[in-house]
Amino acid sequence: MDLMHHSSTFLLPTIPLHHRPSLTYALVVLNQTLPRFAPLLWKHAQLRLCADGGANRVFDEMPLLFPEEDASDVRRRYKPDVINGDMDSIRKEVLDFYRSLGTKIIDKSHDQDTTDLHKCITYIWDFAPDANKSSLCILVAGALGGRYDHEMGNLNVLYCFSSLRIVLLSDDSLIYLLPRTHHHEIHIQTSVEGPHCGLIPIGVPSRSSTTTGLQWNLNDSIPDYSFLLSLAAKL
Amino acid sequence: MIAMDLMHHSSCFLLPTIPLQRRPSLTYALLVLNQNLPRFTPLLWNHAQLHLCADGGANRLYDEMPLFFPQEDASDVRRRYKPDVIKGDMDSIRREVLEFYASLGTEIVDKSHDQDTTDLHKCVTYIRDSASGLDKSNQLCVLVVGALGGRFDQEMGNLNVICRFSSMRIVLLSNDSLIHLLPRTYCHEIHIQTSVEGPHCGLIPIGTPSKSSTTTGLQWDLNNTAMEFGGLVSTSNIVKEEKVTVQSDCDLLWTISIKKL
Repeated sequence: MDLMHHSSTFLLPTIPLHHRPSLTYALVVLNQTLPRFAPLLWKHAQLRLCADGGANRVFDEMPLLFPEEDASDVRRRYKPDVINGDMDSIRKEVLDFYRSLGTKIIDKSHDQDTTDLHKCITYIWDFAPDANKSSLCILVAGALGGRYDHEMGNLNVLYCFSSLRIVLLSDDSLIYLLPRTHHHEIHIQTSVEGPHCGLIPIGVPSRSSTTTGLQWNLNDSIPDYSFLLSLAAKL
Repeated sequence: MIAMDLMHHSSCFLLPTIPLQRRPSLTYALLVLNQNLPRFTPLLWNHAQLHLCADGGANRLYDEMPLFFPQEDASDVRRRYKPDVIKGDMDSIRREVLEFYASLGTEIVDKSHDQDTTDLHKCVTYIRDSASGLDKSNQLCVLVVGALGGRFDQEMGNLNVICRFSSMRIVLLSNDSLIHLLPRTYCHEIHIQTSVEGPHCGLIPIGTPSKSSTTTGLQWDLNNTAMEFGGLVSTSNIVKEEKVTVQSDCDLLWTISIKKL
């Protein structure tokens, strides 16, 4: 099986130039309190989207992360490229503010079949040229915590888009899928993550899995099913 | 369709008083884990016959219960909300909190040698096997606060506990939601307490894909519908009737939003 490399370099202040694999980051902000490292993720991302009420969060909370600066300056600096979703949570003044700055507004209120995260991932998928998809990594803030059915719906999005690198981040943890189609090498950035971690066979039991490098390794043969990897965030 | 026993569910533990004729009649135990206390914790405490803290959950009780009663003296509140048992590996509880409750007569059960199970697992086992003072003539229901949110691997570990103890009624509660298992061996009737919960709900095939699930009472009912991660998972559903029924070929997780009162 092919090897897939993973590394949380997006949590580092600067991403090492020689770092492999070289990835293009997109950031999706959902409607929960921004994690404290949101500005860092924003900086690494080439594309920044808000899913509906995520725009309220950027508007209200980015200035709080820069208390010594003028709130409007911070808001202008952290302007999303796109706001996508069913628009039932975003406040009118927030929508008007970002629209006036040139943010692209995509109103999907007619689509009640998919979650806001799903809509955003689909947008990014359609937006990125085919050649770039394997080097794309989507960072998502605000997908964990809050309403539990939302959290589960967001986990399901990882499985529905199993060929895309998608990382869900909260203040406490990050999680991403380890598809069963690959062997995985996870390069731990000890300055910013760990030591607590977990491997979760969500949705489907795994008959066998093997790990190295953990305190309690799994020792069986080739993994049969996709796993979620959970790493504690240290920042 | 195989005839199966009926299992009733109702979130009466979220009501100020539990109606006397409520069926089934349940005995509640409350377990406090190490996260911020949800705003309705005093209500759950009133309904419970047994009150346990898992390790650092005792810090939460000590620090945060007085905040719900700002007009009262903090020590009075702490004495009133004294856990019966503090159990776990004791690596989070603060020394002064441990001593405070020990001096009030709380039973301290130190399981620091056991690193193979989570604090929730240890406490559920304790409630099931050892807890005295519980009216076991009624069915037991364990209410757990602080099991959701926080570190994701811990949340998943807690979810695994309710899947492993699938024959017990265990409800995980946060400020936003409650979740509990619907074992596949029963048909389920969920009586919605519309004053305190809903309308957002979901059904999650947490352990295995479901080839067939059927519901009534939801906006988007399932009708012999298959569900699995990577495909359809019923989330952002809406409760439409006061009674929701669920039948499935696999254990499902039921989740419903809790109203911000």
